[in-house]
Amino acid sequence: MSYGLSVFKADGSLGFSTADITWQTLDQFTVNANASVSNNYSEASGLTIIAQRQLVNVPPNSQEDFVPNVTVSGTTVSVAPQSGKSSAQCIVHVLAQDT
Amino acid sequence: MAYGFEAKNDNGKVIINDTIENLHFVGKAARGSSSAGVGDFPGYGGANDALDGRIIHYYTITCSGTPIAFIKPTDYARWHGVIKQSVSSTTWSFDVIVSGTSTSNPPELYCFVNANDAPSSSESYGMQVFKSNGSTKTFDSRKQPLAITGGANVVAPSDPTNSSGLPGTSSGHSWNHSSNDHDFRCTNRYNEYNDSNINTSNTMFACPSLAQAVYKRQQHGYKESCNRFGFGCQDHFSTAAFWVMYRSAFRLRANKFDAGWSVFAAGYSFSSSFESGGWFGGGGGSYSSGSMPYTAKTINLQSNAYIIADSSRYD
Repeated sequence: MSYGLSVFKADGSLGFSTADITWQTLDQFTVNANASVSNNYSEASGLTIIAQRQLVNVPPNSQEDFVPNVTVSGTTVSVAPQSGKSSAQCIVHVLAQDT
Repeated sequence: MAYGFEAKNDNGKVIINDTIENLHFVGKAARGSSSAGVGDFPGYGGANDALDGRIIHYYTITCSGTPIAFIKPTDYARWHGVIKQSVSSTTWSFDVIVSGTSTSNPPELYCFVNANDAPSSSESYGMQVFKSNGSTKTFDSRKQPLAITGGANVVAPSDPTNSSGLPGTSSGHSWNHSSNDHDFRCTNRYNEYNDSNINTSNTMFACPSLAQAVYKRQQHGYKESCNRFGFGCQDHFSTAAFWVMYRSAFRLRANKFDAGWSVFAAGYSFSSSFESGGWFGGGGGSYSSGSMPYTAKTINLQSNAYIIADSSRYD
């Protein structure tokens, strides 16, 4: 490349550069069973936000394991149980990308 | 911005700045034991006995922060998914489901955390970016920052079984009837998504398994037996039940991301009885290989984001 930023590893191979894209991490948190959480990330204004959910428990020991719903509205990420359901404990990764 | 640092990629999009943290490589999780099973219905040997099988590999890694785990398949033809992530102190555990019955060719698990939580580096040169508080690091060139090569939202089809539809319950079968007429395998059930950045040599992906399904086939059998004089009749009953539980799983093909299913658990039960007294006397028989976790249904069938990256950059 004729301009930009390249980050090389110790062995001289390319690790990261301005030819890449990436998702940056806004937050990571664990939502307890049946809990609701709402967080605002004003620093991500104008960015695309996604939230990845990962169940902490694994069935069938815990019967029906309902993952909580996640909604992204602007820079606010809200986590809440599915309507009428008991939700399981869940790890949430909130990622942002300039798109 | 009035001050600070910002780097944009060739498309003019921010990839490093001083307000949002980048993910950095923390290491590959160590693989411990494995659990194999569900190659067929336990205790049953009739029609449609075969299932796809699954292995659960158990991994651990010790690190600060909450890691995002990328699965790097060794056998790209198999289905993979992280079905559980938990922590004790700073040691994280992952359960990774892989389709098939062979424990060979387990996947590798590449873990990434925030720059601030990445392991310290002994290198004395490179570039670090901090937030305005001067202490929270957003980027560290020495710690192998994560570059994403693609991603999208995906969802598995609602029906995980090769035979379409919920198999349900039927009666009117002959007494002691037990013959599965539903193909519970799931290899042909998936939604495919085009992604030109996927190859089957070094692409790894992060997409937790959320969806679950339980499918069940139940057959009731009956006959009436009477003595040769037409009285002293007895009712004979039988019930055969086949159930399978699935977790959503994913497969990488060249230029394709497949969202589908992997079998997780399965069971078979059979019971046979007839009335006491009368011509034949009482009694019966039963067999059960496990209890179904919940009534047949698909839950958590929601779009989930996958992201992919080139694993060779972190080897």
